Amino acid sequence: MTDSVHATPDDSMLVRIRGLTTVLGGKTIFSDLDMDIPRGKITAIMGPSGTGKTTLLKHITGQMRADAGRIVVDGQNVAELSREKLYEMREGIGYLFQNSALLTDFDVFENVAFPLRQHTQLPEVLIRNLVLLKLQAVGLRGAAALMPSELSGGMARRVALARAIVFDPMLILYDEPFVGLDPVALNQVLKLIRTLNQTLGITSVLVAHELAAIRQIAHHVFLIANGKVVAQGDPKTIADDGSPWTRQFFGGEADGPVPFQYPAGNYAQALGFAGAAK
Amino acid sequence: MNQRMPQDNNVVIQSLTQIGNCGLFLLTLLAAIPRSLRYIRETIRQLWFVGAMSLTIIMVCGLFVGMVLMLQLYHVLSIFGGTSASGMVVALSVYRELGPVVTALLFAGRAGTSVTAEIGLMRATDQIDAMELMAVDPVAYVATPRFLAGLIAMPLLTCVFCAMAILGGHLIGVTWLGIDNGTFWSNMTAEVDLHTDIVNGVLFKSLAFGAVVSLIAVFQGFATPPTSEGVARATTRTVVASSIAILALDFVLTAFLM
Repeated sequence: MTDSVHATPDDSMLVRIRGLTTVLGGKTIFSDLDMDIPRGKITAIMGPSGTGKTTLLKHITGQMRADAGRIVVDGQNVAELSREKLYEMREGIGYLFQNSALLTDFDVFENVAFPLRQHTQLPEVLIRNLVLLKLQAVGLRGAAALMPSELSGGMARRVALARAIVFDPMLILYDEPFVGLDPVALNQVLKLIRTLNQTLGITSVLVAHELAAIRQIAHHVFLIANGKVVAQGDPKTIADDGSPWTRQFFGGEADGPVPFQYPAGNYAQALGFAGAAK
Repeated sequence: MNQRMPQDNNVVIQSLTQIGNCGLFLLTLLAAIPRSLRYIRETIRQLWFVGAMSLTIIMVCGLFVGMVLMLQLYHVLSIFGGTSASGMVVALSVYRELGPVVTALLFAGRAGTSVTAEIGLMRATDQIDAMELMAVDPVAYVATPRFLAGLIAMPLLTCVFCAMAILGGHLIGVTWLGIDNGTFWSNMTAEVDLHTDIVNGVLFKSLAFGAVVSLIAVFQGFATPPTSEGVARATTRTVVASSIAILALDFVLTAFLM
């Protein structure tokens, strides 16, 4: 663990994580984890289910506090921020939920307008134009009047993306953005993530399992397992680094460092064979 | 508000923990009132949902409670030749006890459950987390407007309930059983005291019940595990806890206010 994090606003790393340790319900999720997320790049975080990828995003946004270590976002130590400062920081972060998390009482237009109405005093005409601009960017200007219940999974995710970028954030966190999407919708979301990164220079962090999609857009990949970063590098070559973790994860092997069997007691003993344990 | 409930098997400790967490939540709620003033439109919208939308059940139940009360009282009082006092007794029963208590129980069943289920589902579908991440305080935007709406709606609904119960009593007593109309109203107006019966009985009690029911409903919604089973359990807990709290609080308030 590095003792000092030399974080200034012009630092090339937007997010710096040092010595992150988190224990939830007696289970160690992260153990002295270090990670740097560069500005203006697309960074993917991969790993087996239950390794804490979404938890890591929650640490970055300050929704969860770590037991030890620190997370610095744009020069600010998240754990030390007051409520007001934390909310101020969050205005610069977009977050795309796996299930979109659209507000079900509001139509598409009002969902995208929601952050603007809460944090600005912009005139209605300007709000309307901004919302239509963002909806046009995700290809859903024509769906502005629809309710969330009338949207397909892919459309809902694009609306959530429009809402996430309505303030032109410095950082967008995508929590499994491709899950449950058909190939067309997946490619649409993929294209949007790339376009947002290339045209607006938004730093993007993706939690995903789809290596083929990650290879197309990500600049850097972290593979986390056992509470640590077990591999990192270029998404096109990371699978060939030879470690048992990457071999199992990217090769899709059922058993390996991530065991097939959930830890349990002696099998023969559990079946009632006396003396089998010996 | 990711409140993690301790997994203690002792029912007493669990209940005390719930009450303690509910008390802490009340403090958070009260602290959020100044911030929630900017969401006045949301409070009005909630007032419509918990207040105006509860009017039908309150009016119908009030009417029938007044009718059955008059019917019972008339037959009991006729034994002593005191049927002329029926109207007054109906009014005192409704103002002092039945009005606030039955309205609160109906309010808990109609509005409290819907508030709990709505907030629970918002949690289950990450809408509360989404608000947090959009730098919108969910306690100020979601919880406080619903709490304030319940606080405002309960006294108004209780007044409507009482009016309908008196009307029901009048319908049965005067129109059906033949009590003199003048006697019905004059006995009532002579015996009903503005301070003891209306202010203490109707307004004070209904305000207290409104606060308790709304607090329990909102708290259960926020504290529920974000699963379908969790939402179902929280909704049930709202009705059970509210009913017990209303009746217990009624006893305490009556003892102090009498």
